[in-house]
Amino acid sequence: MTRSFSNLAALACLVLGALAPLIFGGQPYVLYVLTLALCYTIPAIGVNILYGYTGLVSLGHMGFAGVGAYTTALLMKDVGVPFVPALLGGALAAGVLGVLVGIPCLRLRSHFFIVVTLAVGMILFTLFNNLDALTGGAEGLPGIPRPAPFSIGPIDFEFRSLTGFYMLTFVVTALIFALQFVLVRSDFGRSLSSVRQDEALASARGVNVFGHKLMAFALSTAIAGAGGAMKVLFLRAAAPMSFDMHESINLMMMLILGGAGYLVGPVVGAITFIAVPEFLRIAAEMRFIFFGFVLLVLARFAPRGICGLAESAYKKLGRREKTVVGYS
Amino acid sequence: MTTAIFEQFINGTMMGSIYVLMALGMVLIYGVMHVLNFAHGVLFMVGGYLAHLFFFNLTGSYPLAILGAMVSLALIGVLLERAVFRALRDNLRMQIVASLGLIMIIQNGVVQIWGPHALQMRPPPVEALVRIGQLSFTVQHFVIIGVVAVSVAALYLFLTRTRLGTAMRATSQHPEAAVVVGIDPNRVYTLTFMIASALAGLGGALLGPLFLIFPQMGDAPMLKALSAIIIGGMGSVPGAIVGGLGIGIVESLSTLVVPTDYRDTIVFGVLILMLLIRPWGIFGVRVRGEH
Repeated sequence: MTRSFSNLAALACLVLGALAPLIFGGQPYVLYVLTLALCYTIPAIGVNILYGYTGLVSLGHMGFAGVGAYTTALLMKDVGVPFVPALLGGALAAGVLGVLVGIPCLRLRSHFFIVVTLAVGMILFTLFNNLDALTGGAEGLPGIPRPAPFSIGPIDFEFRSLTGFYMLTFVVTALIFALQFVLVRSDFGRSLSSVRQDEALASARGVNVFGHKLMAFALSTAIAGAGGAMKVLFLRAAAPMSFDMHESINLMMMLILGGAGYLVGPVVGAITFIAVPEFLRIAAEMRFIFFGFVLLVLARFAPRGICGLAESAYKKLGRREKTVVGYS
Repeated sequence: MTTAIFEQFINGTMMGSIYVLMALGMVLIYGVMHVLNFAHGVLFMVGGYLAHLFFFNLTGSYPLAILGAMVSLALIGVLLERAVFRALRDNLRMQIVASLGLIMIIQNGVVQIWGPHALQMRPPPVEALVRIGQLSFTVQHFVIIGVVAVSVAALYLFLTRTRLGTAMRATSQHPEAAVVVGIDPNRVYTLTFMIASALAGLGGALLGPLFLIFPQMGDAPMLKALSAIIIGGMGSVPGAIVGGLGIGIVESLSTLVVPTDYRDTIVFGVLILMLLIRPWGIFGVRVRGEH
């Protein structure tokens, strides 16, 4: 990956994201859509760690997001836990479940692992839908409180307004983005990449393949949990439909669209998938048809997504850079 | 209790037959091309819609409607193999990406054409009832079981007795050797997709009238068929039959013990368990490094 390209793109996203309330302050609808896109960016970052950097496909990730979402919602609504510990609790619950699922299932290879994630996602969805006492069943869980306002010195922060909640989601996303940044640039991240490229070789070079996969899976599910939590806090209601198989597929799709294995891939993907059609006023079904075709074209001609295309364009514009190992 | 068990057994055999059709299609595609086609469920759904279309708008005859759905799906299968999957051979991740794209296109395309609401069609076999003791089933239940039994037998004869079928099996066992003896793999791949898609279409045309025809009707059968081919052993035709029927019967009987809402959980639980103890399935052969 071209490091200068990657850092430049990340910096641009950060600046644009922070300035969004100033730019779009007068347009609540734009902020609403951007907040929603950020809520998907978080679990997409989780999937990026798993798929983009470790090479494992999960088609049940929104199930884990749901575990985080319901845990956070219940902690805030019924136990009265404040936002930060509740969010961490949700992420922890999803991560612990990720470890429990990962220990037996990560021994399976390629499509067997994919099928297991699909099955786990379906089981979780059934549970959200039917554990009425806990999750409110198909009706969902309404009335999740907004995070409490607080002040640092003379500055007040509140999350009732759209701008306030946008900034909160932005900060959470930025922190998780930073986590992704640190993770993939660390030795651990480089070992993950070696697992993705050649498991046998990585293992021969002394990488504990199973341990790395498990760690990546746990982190990925925990991040997905935090994303699910932000989504239900934003919508102020948790419903099983938000965490079904189609949502998991959409999540994979966002990442592939944006560019798996790129730091900003999840950001670009979620915004393209959620926000662009909204602003172009494309009806929901037409959007899926359109993105379905995009996915077919990407699978065939540009498996590295929008970021991959942007990177090649950037390299053509600018000089140097050695060849990049292809990702497929 | 005995009557309840018998009732669920017949229901389970009926649903299991549907899963067998789906599982056979998926196992053929997987066995011959090593493609896991997640879009198989939307082909099933399209089969239901096309049967509805042919029944009400063209023929008015249910058997002809089924035939129409199967032929159309066979053509769609050819198109999918040529246009999408051929270029992605040996690339598992991108095959999955393409399947997901197809699910989105087809499912939402159907919503565009027919609307999001469920359609109903009630051909004669759904209206007529069969009484066995105190229980009654629709004739359609037995039509499904019978048609699937005949299709499985026909497929078996095709695979074992015809040149094309033998070519398919040869390609599945050893692609390079098949080429050496003069089999054109591209033709075999197209044929495989054609048969598999037609079987999915048949499934949709059979089950659609019994319940309802709606855009997500293929999701559950696809997932059950996927479970069936894994439990039976990836690439094994007998495995797909035993796995499909087994899942249908287990999920129906499980409703006697657990609430109906949890029967999917039972099936996926069995699947996960199977993957953990014996990932190569009941009839599969253990290949080192594959699982």
